[in-house]
Amino acid sequence: MEKFFEIARKILAEQLNIDPAEITMETTFEEIEADSIDIVEMIMALEDMYDVEFPEDDLEDYPVLGELIKALYDYLEKEKK
Amino acid sequence: MKIAIDVMGGDHAPTEIIAGAVEWAKKSNDELLLTGKEDLIAQTLQNYTYPADQIHIISASQVIEMDESPAAAMRKKKDASIVVATRLVKEGRADAVLSCGSTGAQMASALFILGRIENIDRPAIVAAIPNRQGSHTFLVDVGANVDCKPQQLLQFALLGKVYAGIDLDINEPRIALLNNGEEETKGNSLAIESYRLLKAQVGLNFIGNIEGRDIFSAKADVIVCDGFTGNILLKAIEGLANEAVQSCLNELGKIPSFLSRFDYSRVGGAPLLGVEGISIVCHGSSKREAVYNGIKTARDCVVKDIVKRQKLALTQSL
Repeated sequence: MEKFFEIARKILAEQLNIDPAEITMETTFEEIEADSIDIVEMIMALEDMYDVEFPEDDLEDYPVLGELIKALYDYLEKEKK
Repeated sequence: MKIAIDVMGGDHAPTEIIAGAVEWAKKSNDELLLTGKEDLIAQTLQNYTYPADQIHIISASQVIEMDESPAAAMRKKKDASIVVATRLVKEGRADAVLSCGSTGAQMASALFILGRIENIDRPAIVAAIPNRQGSHTFLVDVGANVDCKPQQLLQFALLGKVYAGIDLDINEPRIALLNNGEEETKGNSLAIESYRLLKAQVGLNFIGNIEGRDIFSAKADVIVCDGFTGNILLKAIEGLANEAVQSCLNELGKIPSFLSRFDYSRVGGAPLLGVEGISIVCHGSSKREAVYNGIKTARDCVVKDIVKRQKLALTQSL
């Protein structure tokens, strides 16, 4: 999951024009001023990268980045099996 | 020319949207691609005589409602009328898209499907406000972005500069920042930091802060603000104009001609700037006249090639 987080962090940092070091698993989207567009954009970038479509269960409603990353990662792992 | 119209969005959808489209089809050679619930559109069209080779129904089974989270809804509802209409532009099957539905959903669709112009983070809606000199002052953003960062306001200024330059046919439009005072130190943190960026930007004819009372005075060609403020301001102007019209009708029995310049249905639509395609945002309460004029705005934007000109100008500015 660490690698997956690193990729997500890089995407988000580029989108928000901030230092990736400012983003940790515990970071809330509010702290880094990421709105729903930023979150959906990050999810869609990950979808393109992993050639997957994450389920429609309000993924963008997770307030903490780490929680969202875990949910996405769990789905990816499930799809692999 | 082909224009995609999301007929499911708006307070008077689909009836008034379709009525406006039919009127346009009768008076032009343009083809209109109506996206939405096929049966409903076909049924509504039966009420009109229209050139059948100019109006086409493109089926879209879903609708993004006003109370849905726009970005999430756009991702989930892949067969929503605004998503399908925007995709027609992306695929080159239409030259522009128009909607009276959720502005957020239209912005998200434009951003994710059409893509953003390089160096632009977020699209912005530009509205033409009539001014004292019989011309227009352009207000950016009037509702695409509720929360903005200073860098985004700078981008809105650059987009506004290009659009005003095209529309008014001038080289160096005067850019002002909407604020609660003219002094450099006035305003909230967003205004103060935005002022600093605007002042430092090379090639921008930034004339400083402008107060709300000077919007109509023609002191500026472009007024920049966040979408939250811009939307409230635009609706306040429309509300005041409506009240003035009613008062004139009650007291004078007629409407002075200058007031009709403030009738939003005559403008119809406002372009979403900063995206790789033409997307025209119309008022949620649009009726047929506003839709008709919105299509006219879409046509003008295509003819003026605003996307290509924005890209070219931004490449030179940044």
